[in-house]
Amino acid sequence: MKEKINEEVSVVMYYSAKRRQVLPHTISWRNTEYFVGKIGYHHTVRDGQTLHHIFELVNREQTLWFRLNLDTSNLHWLLEAIHDGNPS
Amino acid sequence: MEIPVNHNQPMIMHIDLNSCFAIIEQQANPLIRHKPVAIAAYDTPRGAVIASSYEAKALGIKLGVNVREARLLCRDVIVLTPDPEKYFDAHRRFKKVLLNYTDQVTPKSVDEFVIDFRGSRAVQRGLDLRDVGLQIKQDIKESLGEYVTVNIGIGPNRFLAKLAAGLNKPDGLDVITGANLRDVYSNLELTDLPGINVRYQARLNMERVFTPLQFLDAPVLVLRKRVFKSIVGFYWHLRLHGHEVDTVDFGRKSFGQQYALGDKTSDREQLSRLLMKLCEKTGRRLRAGDYIAYGVHMWLNFENHTYWSKGKKTRNGIFATQDIYLAAQRMLNDIIIPARVTNMGVTVFNLQPGKPEQLGLFDDTRIDARSLAKAADMVNDRYGEFTVVPAIMANMQDTILKRVAFGSVRDL
Repeated sequence: MKEKINEEVSVVMYYSAKRRQVLPHTISWRNTEYFVGKIGYHHTVRDGQTLHHIFELVNREQTLWFRLNLDTSNLHWLLEAIHDGNPS
Repeated sequence: MEIPVNHNQPMIMHIDLNSCFAIIEQQANPLIRHKPVAIAAYDTPRGAVIASSYEAKALGIKLGVNVREARLLCRDVIVLTPDPEKYFDAHRRFKKVLLNYTDQVTPKSVDEFVIDFRGSRAVQRGLDLRDVGLQIKQDIKESLGEYVTVNIGIGPNRFLAKLAAGLNKPDGLDVITGANLRDVYSNLELTDLPGINVRYQARLNMERVFTPLQFLDAPVLVLRKRVFKSIVGFYWHLRLHGHEVDTVDFGRKSFGQQYALGDKTSDREQLSRLLMKLCEKTGRRLRAGDYIAYGVHMWLNFENHTYWSKGKKTRNGIFATQDIYLAAQRMLNDIIIPARVTNMGVTVFNLQPGKPEQLGLFDDTRIDARSLAKAADMVNDRYGEFTVVPAIMANMQDTILKRVAFGSVRDL
């Protein structure tokens, strides 16, 4: 079931110069660390002049999907929603 | 005058993304892949399904059923609401891939493109279009993701290319040529042809045309004079024989917004607030397109299945949201509302280019509505949509959300 969260979370992100890619690596949310597995889709959205990067990804165990929003005006991360892959 | 079948080399490619919105959601969320997924306008029981995954389609969850019906068809269906920005992003990536092959790329909708390879260097070098199609499939997977598949059809005209794209879904690649045209038609029903619905089928049946092959062989005169009763019959004759008649690009004629009310109401104050938001969204698009309108049309659908609409041409150009709202509100004031409103919409028409600007001799000079609208747009461009809004629209952020239009992608 998809659940809206809208909470700020801690995220470790790395940049690979070789692959020229910036990707989230670890998410800390509600006292649990989730290692990022597969990135499903990454796109950008503009809210006025502020650019947001939206990452939709699953944890390494492929049990939880996260929708993360990086606000480039302040570099804060927001966990917008999660989904466990089951119907509501 | 009967026209022979076009035997030229097929050079038109039609590409469409399989179950577009659903497959993009499945790409974004690996946990819902290979599961029945329905994208619904709202996830409430009466929300209409606007796209479904192949797994959901196999269970009968098709376009137009509502969420309650979808859950009756499959208890485990995953219902999601649309994410327009993500689909627009996919559309832009899709287009970028295609532009690597030729600049003759025409978007037909958010998930459909037509590519004209006549004059393309790749083809002039002798590359087979089927190989180009396979390469495009690979490029799309690299750009959008490994789960995304497309149907590709190749034909001598747009109609046959689209028909070919629908022959083997999902992930098909088919070619229709003058040589295999009759074979393809012989395996299809009339309603399998793009553009032929049950009503046209009934008209064709009345003239003893029951199959696509009979349609192909039908005399032009019968199509013109008895079936379609216009030049359209001749166009169908050309289309079916592989000749191009669908390259006309219709220019922008209007801008409009509509809204299906989640909470049906007959309260005029509430309707006015919704109307203002529709007008603001319409006005933003009108001004972004740099047009001025000389007419406003408004319509309402009621719970008792009746319908009301009214349009009015205006002498002065309409540019600001307030102008649209005033014209529409006057129309709304004139009607007696017979039941709760279920749907409403506003359209501006008679468009003229915004420049050069035609000033009215008797325009109000005290408040320059155009400058005010431009200033408000600049603030909203900078700080986000609906930062500055008319007071009547206060606290309406979650009402009338952004949607993906079926068909036109002019605003993307």
